[in-house]
Amino acid sequence: MTRNLWRPDMGVIDLFVSLLPVNIIQGLIYALVALGIMIPLRILSFPDLTSEGSFPLGACALAACLELDFSPIGATMVAVFSGALAGMATASIHRWLRINTMLCGIIVLTILFSINVRIMGKPNIALFSHPSVFSLMFGENSVNQYNQILLLGLLVAMVTVLLYFFFQTQAGMAMRAVGASVPMAKAQGIDVARYTSWGLAIGGALTALGASLQAQLQGFADVNLGFGVLINGLAAVILGEALLGNQSIKRQLLAPVVGAFIYFQVIGFVLALGLRPSDLKALTGMFVLITMLVPIVRKTDTGPTVGIRE
Amino acid sequence: MSPPSKLAISKLRRTFYKDTPNQRIALDSVNLTLQAGDFATVIGGNGAGKSTLLNAVAGEVFVDEGSIHVNGLDVTTLPTHERATWISRVFQDPRIGTASTLSIEENLAVADQRGKIRGLMPGLPRAKKEIYRQRLSSFGLGLESRMDVKVGLLSGGQRQSLSLLMAVLQVPQLLLLDEHTAALDPRTAEIVMEATANVIEQESLTTLMVTHNMHQAIKYGNRLIMMREGQIILDVAGKEKDALTLHDLVEQFHLPHDPQSLAA
Repeated sequence: MTRNLWRPDMGVIDLFVSLLPVNIIQGLIYALVALGIMIPLRILSFPDLTSEGSFPLGACALAACLELDFSPIGATMVAVFSGALAGMATASIHRWLRINTMLCGIIVLTILFSINVRIMGKPNIALFSHPSVFSLMFGENSVNQYNQILLLGLLVAMVTVLLYFFFQTQAGMAMRAVGASVPMAKAQGIDVARYTSWGLAIGGALTALGASLQAQLQGFADVNLGFGVLINGLAAVILGEALLGNQSIKRQLLAPVVGAFIYFQVIGFVLALGLRPSDLKALTGMFVLITMLVPIVRKTDTGPTVGIRE
Repeated sequence: MSPPSKLAISKLRRTFYKDTPNQRIALDSVNLTLQAGDFATVIGGNGAGKSTLLNAVAGEVFVDEGSIHVNGLDVTTLPTHERATWISRVFQDPRIGTASTLSIEENLAVADQRGKIRGLMPGLPRAKKEIYRQRLSSFGLGLESRMDVKVGLLSGGQRQSLSLLMAVLQVPQLLLLDEHTAALDPRTAEIVMEATANVIEQESLTTLMVTHNMHQAIKYGNRLIMMREGQIILDVAGKEKDALTLHDLVEQFHLPHDPQSLAA
């Protein structure tokens, strides 16, 4: 997508500017992924690693459907649905086997690797010959990055607004209550297992939606797409919360979106400085570590942690 | 036909760590019936089984034998959230009984849907806000002007009062109080306990209250139940309970365990 923009005589700023549209697109796609990571983690207090598996699942399901000549919208919907199933699988394992939430996610993402290869029949598929939601919307202009940004931006805004309204409904409030205190939720007649399952399904669906859009933009799906998704998404969530806070449901929803957007601009800048893409994982990991360290150093009282589940 | 008793517990048995060296009988053939309007206080030493009894009624602990009927309905095998249609509960820990990330009015809205289907309707309709505000103002906490404040910012006493209102917003068939003033300072504990007694009287709620506090057990309620080693060793009501003094109770508490002599 960078399309020969780079010239040897470019400075850091020029390079950053030339990378800007790509990074905005990445940021918007990751806004969906970060929302998908935030909902289990913050709304349900269910630290979940499934996204590392539901991300490639979304891309692979989309690719398989496109190969079967599904319409791009149909294929995207199948991808979203598969992501929801992955989230539900994690919730079910936690419900029936009562093992640590993160282990549940690791089991599911490991199993999904094999499933993803099976779905596609091979480890990767090129999708250039297939139509995409972008080509459906903009025809020949679909390679125009501003068109892509417009469509993704609208989609992200729509998803965020929908989630905002959902968390004000009876069911949405019940889901938030589950994350605040499981005993309280049960005592108020809330089926904790069911709401956990739905919450993780929403998370998985959003992650897979992001993945399917990325696959359509990049023109390929690969079973290894998931590596690092979680830490990128988590960094986005934490960065957004550091900037906006998460005291209200509005801020809690805007944090991943804004965080993802800014995170990928920072990434773009670091790349423009000349770091290798392979250095980014360590950088992101250290960024997350540092943000975790800040409250410890400041000795801030993070309040009771009765909510966090195992 | 007379209305069914609000709570009917029959031959309830529960053993923890069965078939291990730590085996402990928590409930040993417990029978207990509460009629409509009964307010029973339950006391007993550590490990007497009073918490297990309350948790068994709530659905948090499943029993090995016996049955639990609420308002004539067999709830023995139902999970907590299904029993919540008829049973409400105030927890010991103020942080557990309320949702700290939700506002005061949102907590009340969640409690207002207890026993009802939760759909995609607005969770906190404008019309309800005023009702919640009025109900809360009757508690005299001064919280009615801060209805949109996150519950995590409230004090323990405020949270317990809110938790109490949440438990009675939808009038339950049975109210469970699990040492709900134990985590509060003495003065706050007294305020919350007075508010509790008022609500119970106003709504003539059938109540089971577990407490560590013998004064409380004597002062409140029309029945007093003492447990030891998983059995009910004392169950007094009405005038007999009113005549009970702290001295009597302490004496009972230290009596060698012999159910026969008490029954006589």
